Amino acid sequence: MTTLKRVQQWATFARIWHVFDASWQNPFDSAQLLKKYLLGLYKPIYHPMNDCGDHVIVINCSDVALPGEEWKKRVYFHHTGYPGGASWTLAHELHKKDPVLILKKAVYNSMDGNLQRRYTMERLHLFPDANVPAKLMGNVSNQIRQIRPIPKRLDHYTQKEIEEYPKLIDYPKDYILR
Amino acid sequence: MQSISKINLLNLPNIFLRTISFSSKLQLKEVFETREGNSLVIKGVHAESGREPFLLKNVSEACPVCSSGLDIKHTDVLILSQFVRSDGCMLPRRITGLCTKQQKRMSTLVTMAQKAGLMPNLNPPNSKNDPKKRGGWKKYHKYFDETTINVR
Ligand SMILES: [Zn+2]
Repeated sequence: MTTLKRVQQWATFARIWHVFDASWQNPFDSAQLLKKYLLGLYKPIYHPMNDCGDHVIVINCSDVALPGEEWKKRVYFHHTGYPGGASWTLAHELHKKDPVLILKKAVYNSMDGNLQRRYTMERLHLFPDANVPAKLMGNVSNQIRQIRPIPKRLDHYTQKEIEEYPKLIDYPKDYILR
Repeated sequence: MQSISKINLLNLPNIFLRTISFSSKLQLKEVFETREGNSLVIKGVHAESGREPFLLKNVSEACPVCSSGLDIKHTDVLILSQFVRSDGCMLPRRITGLCTKQQKRMSTLVTMAQKAGLMPNLNPPNSKNDPKKRGGWKKYHKYFDETTINVR
């Protein structure tokens, strides 16, 4: 085996570490994207019996964005197993309790329920902010592109940028500024 | 270009003060009110909007938004902020000069941008100006789908 082939072999079967910034991303769309990397679905050597999934580090999980009023409409159900043990938690209540859980449940539910699912979830590393241990961050060799662009707030533009932006309308002459 | 009226407050009803003007009313104005002891000074100063050099040329019959041909999203705060007052209140159609469809669409987009916390500096003075300080579910990031806007 030549050196090239040996390195190629090693690179093919090594687990790659990816990083994903979840700020302003829909957790359910992100789950469909992350699932591809966690299961190794994008690899030419993929097979359900082939353990070729990658590691994914997700940062800024507390900054995920839900569409419209879904923070108060989406409900998470849990049952303790005892009579009267059912509970319903709204998405914003769950997010307040643990800012990582919404994304974790989204990824977990996006995958098929088989014996591998728990082990695949072990390869998903979720962090509420950007403070990732250096030991984990040192492994990262790829960044996953975000789905939605991060919107920029009006007060984060400079006054010059706002003034010199092309204007669609001007005030009529008898308008009183306020 | 200034109209200054100085009247004794004790003699005149308050409503009457507003109607006094020595210059043409048909000019873009900024109104200043200052109180000096017993007298109230109201100044209507002609102001430049500063928009003329950056105004897009509209040669067509259509309204400014229709003729621009832009697909405006609720995240385009630099465009949407042109249609609101400094307190975040939508300007009426009489002032924006848009057609009814676009006026409705723009006001919905402004509401979306405000709910998503993208224009926190255009708010009433009693506002906390920080979306993170909102209560309950309102403080978390949210986005909107523009295809849900129902404009006939
Ligand atoms: Zn129009």
